[in-house]
Amino acid sequence: MRQENIHNYLRSYFVANDCAILNERPGALSVQLTVQLDKELMNRPFYWHYLEKIGGTPRPMSLSLITNQHIEENGEFIHFGAPRLHQIFSSTKKLASYIRLYEEIPTSPHQQLPLHPWLGLNIKVSYQCDRKKHRLLSLGLHLVSGAVVSDFHDLLLTKSLTPKIPDYTFTISPIIKPSSGLTRLEGVVDMLVSQEEHSWADEAKKRWAADQLLLDQFYDGSTDVESYQVEKEALRKQYEPVITVDIINGGIFYLGPGVESEA
Amino acid sequence: MRTELHFDQDWTNNFIKQIEEDGPWANWELFKLAIEAEKHTAIPSFTGLQAPAHLPHLTPHPYQLEAARRVVEEMNGKAILADEVGLGKTIEAGLIIKEYMIRGLVKKVLILVPASLVSQWAIELNQKFYIPAVVQRKSYVWDQCDVIVSSIDTAKREPHRSIVYDQQYDMVIIDEAHRLKNNRTKNYEFVQHLPKKFCLLLTATPVQNRLDEVFNLVSLLKPGHLGSYENFEKDYKGKEKSVEDEERLKALIQKVMVRNRREDTGMDWPERIVETVPITLSPEEEDLYRSVEALKKEPVATRSQFSIITLLREICSSREAAYMTLKKMLEKENVSDHARALMNELIKKIEGVPTNSKAQKALELIQSIEGKVIIFTEYRATQIYLQWFLKEHGITSVPFRGGFKRGKKDWMKELFKNHAKVLIATEAGGEGINLQFCQHVINYDLPWNPMRIEQRIGRIHRLGQESDVHIYNFATKHTVEEHILTLLYEKIQLFESVIGQLDEILTRLGMRDIEKHISDILLHSESEGEIRIKMENIKELINYQQNQKEDTDATRKYS
Repeated sequence: MRQENIHNYLRSYFVANDCAILNERPGALSVQLTVQLDKELMNRPFYWHYLEKIGGTPRPMSLSLITNQHIEENGEFIHFGAPRLHQIFSSTKKLASYIRLYEEIPTSPHQQLPLHPWLGLNIKVSYQCDRKKHRLLSLGLHLVSGAVVSDFHDLLLTKSLTPKIPDYTFTISPIIKPSSGLTRLEGVVDMLVSQEEHSWADEAKKRWAADQLLLDQFYDGSTDVESYQVEKEALRKQYEPVITVDIINGGIFYLGPGVESEA
Repeated sequence: MRTELHFDQDWTNNFIKQIEEDGPWANWELFKLAIEAEKHTAIPSFTGLQAPAHLPHLTPHPYQLEAARRVVEEMNGKAILADEVGLGKTIEAGLIIKEYMIRGLVKKVLILVPASLVSQWAIELNQKFYIPAVVQRKSYVWDQCDVIVSSIDTAKREPHRSIVYDQQYDMVIIDEAHRLKNNRTKNYEFVQHLPKKFCLLLTATPVQNRLDEVFNLVSLLKPGHLGSYENFEKDYKGKEKSVEDEERLKALIQKVMVRNRREDTGMDWPERIVETVPITLSPEEEDLYRSVEALKKEPVATRSQFSIITLLREICSSREAAYMTLKKMLEKENVSDHARALMNELIKKIEGVPTNSKAQKALELIQSIEGKVIIFTEYRATQIYLQWFLKEHGITSVPFRGGFKRGKKDWMKELFKNHAKVLIATEAGGEGINLQFCQHVINYDLPWNPMRIEQRIGRIHRLGQESDVHIYNFATKHTVEEHILTLLYEKIQLFESVIGQLDEILTRLGMRDIEKHISDILLHSESEGEIRIKMENIKELINYQQNQKEDTDATRKYS
């Protein structure tokens, strides 16, 4: 992530959370936190607890963040490894888990248009043994026909979306309920993953078996001693291949007709 | 069998609830940012290092990055890091911990280090690696923090021991791991019973050639890698090792060990400039020394109650050191009247020594040096005397000992860095302090174990040292010191070359205990000439092995 990207990310995050920008120039950003973000980021529960007890005026803090370290200004230097950035990353995720949006399409009072319900999920698949990697998936399920679209998030980025239902549009009721939609998408993920190459898991199991064999030889039959059990369990934790599926975020999207036929 | 999939149910359950309650719904901008953040933090591949991109302030050396890569990709996260002193094993360990934390494979880390290094580790991990390592000072820390730095002596004691075993650490790091070479100690047993999903053992002492010790270390890391104890005994000990056996063992060890040497790093290291400073004893000191030397012919000397060699070495250091030893000898039980009389006579002579020629020389040298100076002495009495002596001449110094509590060590180091000209350290204080800001070392008296010399010099000739390092070896003329220094150490170029090789050579020669060899020579030789010849023999043996080793290294390189 380049430093300019970090700057833009920070700016968008604070603006989206209704914080006032106090000062901004390339490589430096000062923001006035809201009460909500102060509680989210500044880690001072005692202050807020005390304030709420005595009923005082809340004074949220301001933050000065530097993304160009050669700049002459006071503030916290933010780079890709900075704990503050990762705190903001996870805060973003926490604050943006569930969404419902409507597409704005050209309409008129004479021609009301239907919006179709979609279930969209952004998914992180983790492949873990003694090593780890991720794969990101973005899937959309048409809750009327059951059609599935991949790279759904990219598709959404091309559309204009709003949280309120636009004038002269109406929503079609889903035929597939969200809960069964979730089950269907789980099935899709399962299928996508099973089509992948699994040599990494086989290799990990081989490494595991090799170490287990050494361990057995070392203890030479006296497998009831405590340290043998400890080591054996540690090997399982080290090597056992596991795939976990986490949902980053997702929601219901009402989109103009036509998308499902491209699936 | 295919790998099982685990779906995240929390999200879906909450989602259904949100729909039923019609919100609250997130903001589209934040929603997009969350995806952007994931795209940046998702790890695309099992291989390669993610850590460097997270550490813009740190520029690891290529050999350090390569070490980290090998540990993760080839050793599956269990390794002995055995770089030579001063090459930055902590950096390698930090890179590895960071890599695993970024990949989400490690959350809880236990770092066990000597008490003197605890705060230094915590500071380095926090400042250089943004790893929130916490020093274990209160027992609740175990439960509340994920990355803990503790001394092994604290961790192994109850009530800590049980709490530590309950923690389920993902990674265990042990610094100065050569202390775990004996599998019958409490420390060994404690570490053996710790669950070790990933594990790093750090040591600067090359262990390849000490079979028992290497077996114990490797078995802690990866039990069975060198076979069971019985088989190992049978295959490698007792009989003459064949070349094939030795090669096979080496290859096995290399699978779990990273060892960089200065010469392999491809970097320019600051020079070591070594100077011998001869000291001439005053007539009174000379008289005292010769009186002790003459005792070699006394029958009492052959019994253990009289440590002649120790006394001779101490006289070369300070009369205070010799006095302390004599006093201890007198306090022992069963001292014969004759021995008692001899000792009292020596004490009288000590009282008659008016000055310390060596301290005088040290003072002159320190006054001529612009920067800071470290003095190493073997004796605590000398340390105390020197501090007093320097103060008399307006020079501030701070003492440093192994027995200091960790806080005191850090404090002394800071005092030295910011306020004092001289640091006076006893042997035990050497390990684990980094003093790159200093360029001058005085070996006030020399340890007879050559490995300890490297530990001393390694304090300042290490990563981060930008200037050449000056080493001053004090040697009192016509004494044991001169024998050691000029007859042996100088001839085998002990101070210029890095010690790893020498350790290997001494092991091959079966002379690990070179200290005892030298003592024997000095005690049992009839004349100067005999000492000279015997020392010459050792020197020849060492040089011969050294040349042989270079030859085999060279053939290996070109084969």
